[in-house]
Amino acid sequence: MTAIDSALQPAHDTAHGHHAKPSGITRWLFATNHKDIGSLYLWFAFSMFIFGGVLALCIRAELFRPGLQFWQPELFNQFTTLHGLIMVFGAIMPAFTGLANWMLPLMIGAPDMAFARMNNWSFWLLPPAALLLLISFAVPGGAAAAGWTLYAPLSTQMGMGMDLTIFAIHIMGVSSIMGSINIIVTILNLRAPGMTMMKMPMFAWASLITAYLIIAVMPVLAGVVTMVLTDRHFGTHFFNAAGGGDPVLYQHIFWFFGHPEVYIMALPAFGIVSHIIPTFSRKPLFGYTSMVYATSSIAILSFMVWAHHMFTTGMPATAQLFFMYATMLIAVPTGVKVFNWIGTMWQGSMSFETPMLFAIGFICLFTVGGLSGVTLSIAAIDIQLQDTYYVVAHFHYVLVAGALFSLFAAVYYWFPKMTGRMYSESWGKFHFWWSLLWFNVTFFPMHFLGLAGMPRRIPDYNMQFTDFNTLASVGAFCFGLGQLIFFANMLHSLRHGKPAAARPWEGADTLEWQIATPAPYHSFVEAPDLEVGENGRIDAMHGGKHH
Amino acid sequence: MDKPPATLHDNRLLLLKLLLLACVMFVFAWGLIPVYDALCRLTGLGSLQRPDEVGSQRLAATPLAPVLLTFDATVQPGLPWQVRPLTRTLRAVPGEFVRVDYEITNASNRQVVGQAIPRYLPAAAAEYVKKLDCFCFAQQAFAPGETRRFPVVFVVDKNVPAGLDSITLAYTVFDVPGRS
Repeated sequence: MTAIDSALQPAHDTAHGHHAKPSGITRWLFATNHKDIGSLYLWFAFSMFIFGGVLALCIRAELFRPGLQFWQPELFNQFTTLHGLIMVFGAIMPAFTGLANWMLPLMIGAPDMAFARMNNWSFWLLPPAALLLLISFAVPGGAAAAGWTLYAPLSTQMGMGMDLTIFAIHIMGVSSIMGSINIIVTILNLRAPGMTMMKMPMFAWASLITAYLIIAVMPVLAGVVTMVLTDRHFGTHFFNAAGGGDPVLYQHIFWFFGHPEVYIMALPAFGIVSHIIPTFSRKPLFGYTSMVYATSSIAILSFMVWAHHMFTTGMPATAQLFFMYATMLIAVPTGVKVFNWIGTMWQGSMSFETPMLFAIGFICLFTVGGLSGVTLSIAAIDIQLQDTYYVVAHFHYVLVAGALFSLFAAVYYWFPKMTGRMYSESWGKFHFWWSLLWFNVTFFPMHFLGLAGMPRRIPDYNMQFTDFNTLASVGAFCFGLGQLIFFANMLHSLRHGKPAAARPWEGADTLEWQIATPAPYHSFVEAPDLEVGENGRIDAMHGGKHH
Repeated sequence: MDKPPATLHDNRLLLLKLLLLACVMFVFAWGLIPVYDALCRLTGLGSLQRPDEVGSQRLAATPLAPVLLTFDATVQPGLPWQVRPLTRTLRAVPGEFVRVDYEITNASNRQVVGQAIPRYLPAAAAEYVKKLDCFCFAQQAFAPGETRRFPVVFVVDKNVPAGLDSITLAYTVFDVPGRS
């Protein structure tokens, strides 16, 4: 019990005595400071983003021309599978957890996350999981090649790469559940006096609801991959028709996880954009309360639409209709959000710094992805488009132009507060326009490819698809190259950027902008007394101590 | 004006509740198995391995054009079976009772339990072949080297669409590991 007890202790030594930062490798290995752990998460997510991106470029290189150029189909399938798994579980989810770690205590006036040592644990589980995925390329039979959804019976038949993938998913699941528990307890129990729930910043609301979604569905994913594991090694027949099981059952359980997972990757993005749009429009967020309710209803609806991923499995028409209408219903709260962001910008005194550009890019492109989602929700159309590049186009519009653009916006927005220095605005703007252009060159043609019938997850294709594929491959390589600009900008600005003011954005009014820049290593060791308006606007702050 | 700040105890209590929620959801994933099983039974989905009922309305009053029936069997590489239909093809009028026999041999020198899975070509024909008796309804135990014959009794529904004049019924036999 003592190990668990000490894991649950808040790191008291930070408050008493040891005011100096720990240094060297131990600062990171034994990190309990939310800012250090947040940085670890963000660096980890970025390196996974590069790894997953290289896999994506391997895919696009093969698809540059019809015929087999570089890889055998088996290896190509491993690339598509690992690209998906790494981007979802290695890049996007940890990046949002990292931002939550960095910003939540600052936004709500808490000294740190609620369980500082558990926080350390939830981060340090991630590198071993990533390592398992990486070494799975080197085992006999190679890495998992069943697609990121790991459908049975493919996943029950593959080599040991699948076992490594299953263990990696277990570990990443434990990590994200612990991270989520930390987020929920921090938000519910550690808010400073005056910071009430219905005054909380939208990013805190989005993180809170996302954390509940993670706790509700990651165990379901863990359950279903465990069933695959026992089918593979212990003679069970959950998904084996011969033994009385059913491969379609896998899809039902997987998508019960999988659809809320989509919103796990989208809700924090909504939260971030709900900070940046008001800041650079110099107006309060339009319809704060409706934003909170829209976020909650998206979360609840996300549990009732899983079978829209399975319209072609032969379900009864009644079920198809139910899932079709339920799916369309999600467009309503999402539309409320888009409307509110536009309402915030309306007659605002807008300026277009890099975070704002990415946020507006997010709104435009996420809406395109949302519209192709509504198209796909129609069962009769989905049966045509199932497993075509139209689906690939759709989810890259919501995940790259959605989640990833919001992450870029967030990193640019909070970079001054995190590092005390300004990034290069001109390179930031160049990064945005470059990414916007090549993102669309890469993914917009995929709509046409899908409508023309090109299936996803294949290394070779019919001659008629050549032009759009070549275009998409050129776009992908340029998009990938552009991310090096971002990396160089961040690295250079970390050392040589201009010193940032405490409040570099004149429209920023949440709590993290009320303290010094860079944020003191131990902020709010004594909770401040706050007078707060909607969306975390600080009207007055009394007290509050930092080290 | 506010509620008192949360204590360590409050935090731990919330942690335990959230851990409990995670455990409940893990169990829920496994609970979905019987739920879907019951749902499929109730709605009659996934009924390929259960006997059908043939009401008189499915039996033809007047003779219809005969349908060409082909019988086939496959065994996946590495499995110990030899399976062959004793009748390769026959013509049957929709509404007529048909019986064919399959011969299954356990070619290994150990006892194995097998399960046959039916398959139809074209797949749309599945709902018009009403199986009254089939060895695929149950798992079958075989002694080493044993050969047995099994009947399949079925009716081609008289509502079979006019264009569907040829149906292949194919069985794949799997062994059921862990049972003997």
